[in-house]
Amino acid sequence: MSREFEEFHDELRSVAGDLLAKDRAVAWSVLVDAGWVGLEVPEQFGGAGVTFAEVAVICEEMGRAASANNYLGSAVLAIGALKALQPSDTRDRLLADVASGAIRVAVALEPLEFVPDAEGADRILVITNGRVAEAAMTVTPQPVLDETRRLATVTADGVEASEVLRFDGDPHKQIKRLHERAAVAIACDSLGLSEAMLGATVSYAKVRQQFGRPIGSFQAVKHACADMQVSISVARQLVSAAVEAVAEDRPDAGVATAMAKSYTCSAAVDIAGKAMQLHGGIGYTWESGIHVYLKRAMLNRSLFGSPAAHRKALAKRYV
Amino acid sequence: MTNQSAEHEDMHENSPNSPAQAHVRPGDELEEFRATVRAWCAEHIPTDWRRAQTGVGDEEFVRFQKSWFAELHGAGYAVPHWPREWGGGMSVAEQIVLYQELAAHDAPRLVLAFVGIHHAAATLLAAGTDEQRRRHLPAILDGEIWVQGFSEPEAGSDLASLRTSARRAGDSYIVNGQKLWASGGKHADWCLLLARTDPDAPKRKGISYFLLDMTTPGVEVRPIRNAIGDSHFCEIFLNDVSIPAANLVGAENAGWQVAQATLGAERGLTMLELAERLGNAGFKWLVQACPLDDPIVVDRLARFETEITGLRGLCRKVVESADLEMRGVAGTAGPADASIVKLYYSELLQRLTDFGAEISGLAGLTELTKPMSSGWESGSWALDFIGSWEWTIPGGSSEIQRTIIAERGLGLPREPSVA
Repeated sequence: MSREFEEFHDELRSVAGDLLAKDRAVAWSVLVDAGWVGLEVPEQFGGAGVTFAEVAVICEEMGRAASANNYLGSAVLAIGALKALQPSDTRDRLLADVASGAIRVAVALEPLEFVPDAEGADRILVITNGRVAEAAMTVTPQPVLDETRRLATVTADGVEASEVLRFDGDPHKQIKRLHERAAVAIACDSLGLSEAMLGATVSYAKVRQQFGRPIGSFQAVKHACADMQVSISVARQLVSAAVEAVAEDRPDAGVATAMAKSYTCSAAVDIAGKAMQLHGGIGYTWESGIHVYLKRAMLNRSLFGSPAAHRKALAKRYV
Repeated sequence: MTNQSAEHEDMHENSPNSPAQAHVRPGDELEEFRATVRAWCAEHIPTDWRRAQTGVGDEEFVRFQKSWFAELHGAGYAVPHWPREWGGGMSVAEQIVLYQELAAHDAPRLVLAFVGIHHAAATLLAAGTDEQRRRHLPAILDGEIWVQGFSEPEAGSDLASLRTSARRAGDSYIVNGQKLWASGGKHADWCLLLARTDPDAPKRKGISYFLLDMTTPGVEVRPIRNAIGDSHFCEIFLNDVSIPAANLVGAENAGWQVAQATLGAERGLTMLELAERLGNAGFKWLVQACPLDDPIVVDRLARFETEITGLRGLCRKVVESADLEMRGVAGTAGPADASIVKLYYSELLQRLTDFGAEISGLAGLTELTKPMSSGWESGSWALDFIGSWEWTIPGGSSEIQRTIIAERGLGLPREPSVA
């Protein structure tokens, strides 16, 4: 990555970090105004015309803040799906409307369960049988332990699709790319939340005194923190590689995604769990908020392919 | 995932059997260099060297190591990391490619020359006199073998508490003491020696750094048999050994700082080479050893492949960052990244070889020797597993590395001092 892009990412990261740290729940309009929704939308449709690499920076900050908002479903997936379609008046208008905040779109991938951010969306793009249908849908919220995400089951109302949009090129490939984009976005989220958990734990271990000294001076605590840091360092390498592969639409994107998603999302659960452990009794309280991160890490681990499923995909190459 | 066949095809793009994971950009100079190295490897790496080097004695091991070193040197591949004026001068990007390709082609590892080309050279380049450099750097290229004389029976993890003494007497120092874990000591021509020159100073401030000719009277080397049964570790006994003052490196009592240059050589490219070996031949043999119809086994394999990929990325980052710093640009590596790499590599190696040993079962336990000159993962998994403690213990044990990561990397408070 060039230095210029690094600086741009650092700035994006810092602005996002500040904004998301204010409140756990962030309104859609705030995300639109910040320009994050339209990051990948071409400039001619009112977006910033940048790539998934920049979206990934935002996703990581979302995880760091355990932010409750519609970015995953209505920006990462929605823009990804729209950009995968053949250009048409409908598609172009949708892209422009999403970037401007005029409408909010959700994307339902098969099996149409655990669809992110469908509740309250103005439009739902349903991806079935290798095509995208826009139809009237019933959205049934599906509460999960992680209260920072909104998931729902989507069912067709039985009427014909009002409009059918076609993928640009091989639909299977496009759908696969959409899955990869979702999986990498989640891996970024888990990386961000892991760093937040390590940061909180290190800060706490420096100030919490027991036996007349900070608990962070005990090797048992220190070494646990070191292990968290090692996992995060490895995860960052895998996530960076996957983000780059997806952003550049490289043929190795599938492999890089499977590695980043399986490793990072497993590690995040361990790291949030260790954070709870090292915070002691206070870490187990509702008030400490560590449970929020642990639950989000657990949801992330299962969303868009479990670690085992991703490893199974990797292992097909061995035979 | 909806389309299995498309996915399957896609996955093959990055098959573990393909030599390197770097993506090819046509017309790229680096890719041309890669092609050159590949062609060289195909022509020069001795075929069947593994079988030929299994169970050989010391003499054959030394002969093979020296001839392989000469072969690499002839191509300009033995000391690519040295400055151009001394016979190196390859860019870091090219060095990465070189190590990737040597690993991909399962080249023999430079075991005997290792301390000379890395530790001795790094020390001399950082702190040696011109005379010392002229005396030793060309000699190393001609096959001079070095050993590191740092650890002692009472100075392991706490290296700074070393007791070997060096007393100034005219133009010489008289050295007495005992060194331990000196790898390759019995073949060494020269030794990088740390000894205490000021017993009254605080422990890091009374140490000096010497170049010791191993043929000096009073030097005695005794091999120690290690857990595998090899004897490349040695004890070095020093009994009234006289070292000319001209062989002092850096100032008297400044040896601890000089030693940091030596230890710094253990990081960076040496780790990258090991990670590339693990990712190429190492993982390939593991896959070959495994029953691939067992879903539990392939899950473990995919886990290892993922971890190795992460490690390779980390190693590249550390190397590239050090290169940036050399050129006066801020690096991207964190303060404890070298420790993270060492810790992660050694523990991953241990878990991977353990898995290999479990998979190879009783048959694996019938392999009583492993090929000399091979990597730490030779495919003789049971022996490789036992040998993996040679990575988790020396060079700062895993426990020491974790402490460094926590203190230097995360800023956690130091252990209260006992002294």
